[in-house]
Amino acid sequence: MYAYDTYDHAMVNARVAEFRDQVDRRMKGELTEEEFRPLRLMNGLYLQLHAYMLRVAIPYGTLSAGQMRKLAHVARKYDKGYGHFTTRQNIQYNWPKLSETPDILQELSDVEMHAIQTSGNCIRNVTTDQFAGAAADEVADPRPYAELIRQWSTFHPEFSFLPRKFKIAITGAAEDRAAVKWHDIGLVLKQNEAGEVGFEVLAGGGMGRTPVIAKSMREFLPISDMLSYLEAMLRVYNEQGRRDNKYKARIKILVDAMGIDEYRRQVDAEWEKIRHVPIDVPEEEVARIKAFFAPPPLPVLADAATEVDELENANFVFKAWLANNTGAHKVPGHAHVTISLKPHGGIPGDATDEQMDLVADLADAYSQSEIRVSHEQNLILPHVAKSDLPALWSKLDEAGLGTPNAGLLTDIIACPGLDYCSLANTRSIPIAQTITERFDDIKRLMDIGPLKIKISGCINSCGHHHAGHIGILGVDRRGEENYQLLLGGSGAEDASKAAILGPGFNEAGIVDAVEKVVAVYLGEREDDETFLSAYRRLGPDVFKEAVYGTD
Amino acid sequence: MVLINLTGIQPTGFTLLADDVQPKEGENVAVSVERLLAEDSAFFDTAGGVGAVITTGTPYADLDAIAGKLAFAVIEFPAFGDGRGFSLAVRLRKDFGFKGEIRATGPVIPDQALFLLRAGFDTVDVTSERKTAFEAALSRFPGFYQSDFGGQTSIAHARHTVGHTIGHSGEGHRKAS
Repeated sequence: MYAYDTYDHAMVNARVAEFRDQVDRRMKGELTEEEFRPLRLMNGLYLQLHAYMLRVAIPYGTLSAGQMRKLAHVARKYDKGYGHFTTRQNIQYNWPKLSETPDILQELSDVEMHAIQTSGNCIRNVTTDQFAGAAADEVADPRPYAELIRQWSTFHPEFSFLPRKFKIAITGAAEDRAAVKWHDIGLVLKQNEAGEVGFEVLAGGGMGRTPVIAKSMREFLPISDMLSYLEAMLRVYNEQGRRDNKYKARIKILVDAMGIDEYRRQVDAEWEKIRHVPIDVPEEEVARIKAFFAPPPLPVLADAATEVDELENANFVFKAWLANNTGAHKVPGHAHVTISLKPHGGIPGDATDEQMDLVADLADAYSQSEIRVSHEQNLILPHVAKSDLPALWSKLDEAGLGTPNAGLLTDIIACPGLDYCSLANTRSIPIAQTITERFDDIKRLMDIGPLKIKISGCINSCGHHHAGHIGILGVDRRGEENYQLLLGGSGAEDASKAAILGPGFNEAGIVDAVEKVVAVYLGEREDDETFLSAYRRLGPDVFKEAVYGTD
Repeated sequence: MVLINLTGIQPTGFTLLADDVQPKEGENVAVSVERLLAEDSAFFDTAGGVGAVITTGTPYADLDAIAGKLAFAVIEFPAFGDGRGFSLAVRLRKDFGFKGEIRATGPVIPDQALFLLRAGFDTVDVTSERKTAFEAALSRFPGFYQSDFGGQTSIAHARHTVGHTIGHSGEGHRKAS
């Protein structure tokens, strides 16, 4: 993991002092709320329906056991004993007091964390594959580049007041677990024919009210050119992105308006001018950052473990957890483990302070003190010896963290919705709760197989409904909460936009509709066809008929 | 209004000239980019130091024809969040090698002081009640991760340079000449 040096500490501490001064001025009435708003937004502090909300950055979703303990401490001391992990691999606290937020940020700074650029029209937390540095299918670990981008984009002199927020995602594996094609810029680490590692660069993706899948800018960009190329991309966007309408201000609208070829031409022209100016960091700095992400010293172990086999044969829930929540690690005899924050009937992405403390302890005991947050709002222990899996599972299970549903229908992404958010039209959390209660049967879920449901409580799409195999969008229909059903989206390497199936439903109706859609799939699927493949083969009509057909 | 001096430059005294007024012989004046493009050499021959008043909507390519003749530039921010002003300053320094004073006007906020400095601005016109906050903001951060066109080297470079201390000279773009 990256560790701060004196420069990093000085910068974050200076930021805390600056924010403390701003809050002081606000509390004394020297700043009006209108004047304070842009300042607090630069520190991830939102004013929501009932209270302030503080969004804390977890850069590229990587954190240490010690940092997780601090997050638990903040939840306990300054909030109501829980936090909410987000689709940008961050954590949100829903009930901080304004007067205490500088103290929270100081406590976070002590463990090398901050809330810088978690909101505002700037480059946000760079997201990546939650299994980075652990997954067996990885070309290269994307995190050193994510850290380089974090530093380069922090308080950038030119790109801190962009037309709109700006999201970059990087993945190092062919299987895209970071939804890179749904980002303003997506970077995919690849090896070229000469065996060199570089990036495929994509641009212009995004969700919101205009869903667009990113287009390819370059097939292969050498790593040493990464920052100069990003700078050229951002400069053209900063200069020409629309500023007259916030709903048309994202880069996807610019790229659509000028065309990807013209955008590429302008970026390339600018890049030619700057690529040989030494604005990129020196090679020694790249090496310094890379060293922090050296693979942990895991011993090569036997791939089979008797403890695992025995419990697997004796306990079906463990068997299901093994199948769904663990995955192939680079180092034989190890696995990466997904800790589901989606208990059936629970709130997707929420964790209590006690659960966070437990995960920290388990990371110390079993996973090199390392933890990840996934964009699907789960926690990951990236480096677990297979022989430790039975012990790990039983401790998770006791604490309500053993739900064996990773990647299954009940592993739902949901935005905070009208329970918290001032932008929402409808609630999202209760829909997720009702669906997971309706499908509370692990055998049934495993029979259904991989199925991603994503729920947004308004068109801003924080719940990624455009990328859901089944997407649910809450809209306001004459003062009533109404839920639209979308099918066929994907956030993976085969990214696609989900399409609205037909008229919307009320709260009970949408859950019934989901069940009918699943029933059609089960009846129509061929062999081991997944839901998404079956939908792509069948098209919407057969689903439409089942959901809206007269009876 | 008061002038905040970010770099220690000698600020230019000038008259902001309305579009229908002719400059006096040898007078320092600031006028719109449109007018400079239209009148070009005739205007530069008459006036003393000529500054362009650049709106954030100005494509930087429009500055190509005049940047070499400008004594100073005034970039007008219509709102503090209009980040095109920062790119315009960067373009003036980077693409046109402009060494004169770049001034920011409009409702920029104190917390932007160091962003303005690092993008290449020398001075900012602010309301007098913001003066203290602007000056406090200038000494807030010890260093940044980016090298900039004002002469500050990045933390990334400082980390690998023995004996290097970060800090803004404020003279970067002029020293380089």
